[in-house]
Amino acid sequence: MIPVISIAVFLPLVGALLLMALPKSSSKFAHTVGIIASALTLLVTLVIWSRGIVPGGFAQVEEVTWIEAIGAAYRVGVDGISLPLVLLSALLFLLAFIYQAKSGDRARSFVILMLMLETASIGTFVALDALLFYVFFEVSLVSMYFMIAGWGGVERQKAALMFFLYTLLGSLPLLLAILGMFLASDPYTFDMRVWIDMPPLLGVGGMLALIAMLFTFAVKIPAFPVHTWLPAAHVQAPTVGSVILAGVMLKFGTYGLVRFALQMTPEAFADAGTVVLAVGVVGAIYGAFVALAQSDLKRMIAYTSVNHMGYVVIAVAIAAMATDPKMRSIALDGATLQMISHGLVTGALFFLVGMLKDRAHTREMDQFGGLLKVVPIMGWTYILMAFASLGLPGLAHFPAEFQIFLATLNVSPWAVISILAIVVVAALYLRSISAVFLGETNEKWSKMADLDRREIIVLVPLIVLTIAIGVAPSWLLNLINITTTSMGL
Amino acid sequence: MGRDLSLLLPELILMITVTLMLIGEMVRFSRVVLAIGLAGLALATWQSYLLLGTDASVFGGTYRINYIAVWSKLILLPATALSLLLARGELAGRFREGSVYSLMVLVSLGALMLSGSGDVMLIVLGVVLTGLGSFALVAYPADDAATEASMKFLVYGSVAGAVMIYGVTFWYAGAGSTLFSALVTIGDKPLLAAAGLLALLVGLGYKAALVPFHFWAPDAYDGAPISVAAYMSVVTKLAAIFALAQVFTYLPIATGWQWAIAILAALSMTYGYLTALVQSNLVRLLAYSSIAQSGYFLLGLVAIGFSALALDSLIIFGAAYAAMNIGAFAIILVGGRDMDKFTGLGRRSSIVGVAMVVFLLSLAGIPPLFGFFGKALLFGAAIEAGFLWLVIIAILNSVLSLAVYLRVIVAMYMAEKEAKSEQKSTLATTIVWVLTLAITLLFGLITQVFTGASIF
Repeated sequence: MIPVISIAVFLPLVGALLLMALPKSSSKFAHTVGIIASALTLLVTLVIWSRGIVPGGFAQVEEVTWIEAIGAAYRVGVDGISLPLVLLSALLFLLAFIYQAKSGDRARSFVILMLMLETASIGTFVALDALLFYVFFEVSLVSMYFMIAGWGGVERQKAALMFFLYTLLGSLPLLLAILGMFLASDPYTFDMRVWIDMPPLLGVGGMLALIAMLFTFAVKIPAFPVHTWLPAAHVQAPTVGSVILAGVMLKFGTYGLVRFALQMTPEAFADAGTVVLAVGVVGAIYGAFVALAQSDLKRMIAYTSVNHMGYVVIAVAIAAMATDPKMRSIALDGATLQMISHGLVTGALFFLVGMLKDRAHTREMDQFGGLLKVVPIMGWTYILMAFASLGLPGLAHFPAEFQIFLATLNVSPWAVISILAIVVVAALYLRSISAVFLGETNEKWSKMADLDRREIIVLVPLIVLTIAIGVAPSWLLNLINITTTSMGL
Repeated sequence: MGRDLSLLLPELILMITVTLMLIGEMVRFSRVVLAIGLAGLALATWQSYLLLGTDASVFGGTYRINYIAVWSKLILLPATALSLLLARGELAGRFREGSVYSLMVLVSLGALMLSGSGDVMLIVLGVVLTGLGSFALVAYPADDAATEASMKFLVYGSVAGAVMIYGVTFWYAGAGSTLFSALVTIGDKPLLAAAGLLALLVGLGYKAALVPFHFWAPDAYDGAPISVAAYMSVVTKLAAIFALAQVFTYLPIATGWQWAIAILAALSMTYGYLTALVQSNLVRLLAYSSIAQSGYFLLGLVAIGFSALALDSLIIFGAAYAAMNIGAFAIILVGGRDMDKFTGLGRRSSIVGVAMVVFLLSLAGIPPLFGFFGKALLFGAAIEAGFLWLVIIAILNSVLSLAVYLRVIVAMYMAEKEAKSEQKSTLATTIVWVLTLAITLLFGLITQVFTGASIF
């Protein structure tokens, strides 16, 4: 068997090493390497998909001994929760490379960072060894730091530093929890499968580990009240940085919430379920209202991420509290689908705002008006994606949020108040549409060019998938469902 | 006796090497001195490698050839060789450069005595031997700064040494022997035990630059040549840490040494990084950072006897620290001592910049670099020993450390206002940072080399 998962993880890194070895390469060559490496990676992830997964546990596991004395090994594999996220990451990275291809600003360094980030991202989702997971998790921080610090907006140094310190402070408790579980496992091992089958920490130890992990993942998700790094990072990050940050890296938090917190400390999570649920509800509502108060489009979309990720937190908490396995799998299906939908929709929205900013050099909503007549393709795409983001039936977020609310209603009905947030999100998107694309055309922008071919290529896959998931989610849900129905918490 | 001698081969080789180096220096053949030094160190390293797995003691138990001692040789001897190369890069052509090389090897002999000591007297000898050589090394440039630094270092070192010698006599009074193995009975005489422990911590804490015995370090490092600063921050510091590890293997827990070490750890980490945060001189910044790093080592020390990870974590982090700290000093040698000189370095010379980024991130403990694996094991050891609170302090300090190191990184990638700094890169220096870079990047991934069969 060809180790396809490892190839998917390290192929981008090979591209990065190739570019490092050729210090004199031109921007064009660098971008070509980036696009080819990420396109091949996407192909390889499709092969992984075609090989399928198995119910209960992980499929296509690849294992190499690493630090034998302490039971750490290189272990990777996929299941119905990680595989969709791997596919999403590979797609978003390819699109990001295509979008970036016009930029000549230190292209070689940028592509190297992006490729390293791609390896770290895919690695985080497929790692089955806690030490390996932590390594990938942290490497992603370093790459993102340099991306924001090197290519960001005016206040980039401050935003990058805040991002790095905040998320490092956030991730170190996870290291504590990992070490705790390592020391509690007998014999010593970092194998996540062992920890999932037989949670090593129970009782007080389990609760402490859960608290540590919740802190880590809450920062990453980001959940209220530890979300404050997100708007700063997004506003300063370059467009593709924002796309990857929102589309891929926020999922580290929710993925970790399922993989670590839910699966490795299930008892403690069930006990603390209400608290986590409350955090999710507050995050969803708070994110929506703060987004409503923004005038900068990018900030607004950044805050809607807090809202959408809040629903994922709700779903995972519901899954932990549910006693009926059917409800649990519905909640987890919803959570996973929500992660994918958010990656597609928010990715597209950040691309669109970036394209608008490239043309207008501003993102303030009230600077625009009536752009639909000037740039119809951009306008209609934004409108479609905005509707998807606010949860319109027939588009990607609807089946996800529907399942989340269904399970919530069944398990903990009070939490359904978070549905109010949907109304707020609807209001803010409608307001942004009317401010930017409807109304009187601002003369200043009457010469604005519509999307060019490259930009359309970037957006089409996202549009197609958003509609495909919205209309017929079963092709993806069936995959997720194989794992969620056999998790046996 | 014949067997004793074969166990002592690394030390004997080193002694012969120093003698030959001194002869070479008398006739001012500095290149020959360097070559002899490097060859001797390589030979001694090879002989140490052959001793892996030995657990023995010689001279009636006063000198140990055990897990810590052998691994410390395998770390300290190559680190000395790298320091020699760094010194060559910095001081080539200077008056009596050969004496720097011979002194370094001589001090390393003292360092080996410290890290292999099984007797209080050997610790005293080791502290004195490393001290005497170090005073001279710091004073080598013979300018005002170096003389002042050396003077401070000498006074501080003499007082600390005297306190230690005075204090450890209490242990002799309590245990009736200077051997560590006799210390197991000292638990019933708490006052004597505490007095001896305090004295030992003063002496070795000064050598390892632990807070509050650290005051000499920033001045001495800054006054000394950069290569000497790199050398002292690694070799003599590690020797003191390993010596403490040898003592704590035997010292009864009732003496409270665990808590004393834990408090020193918390102080060193926090004070070191807080002070490093405001330095603009990079040598001083690294000096304070190395004070903080000593604090991290203590996390492994508190776990001795309570966690199977303790010794491994000390050795792995020791190797990592040696590589990344020498590497960082090598880049300072290329770029210059002042933060100003570093401005834009990463843009001018991308590979040197990347190397510095790797060293600094490894010092901060970011995976998958070597430093991370060392720190993760240290944390694991301390948690297993029941010092979770100390690990939490260490983790908070890791965040602080990132701020310290990012300041340098940010400066390196800022657009420079004017082209100013001259880079002085020599072959010897380049060899040093390329080697340490490779170790820092790759050794984390092959950490299993260091986790021997002696544990688990």
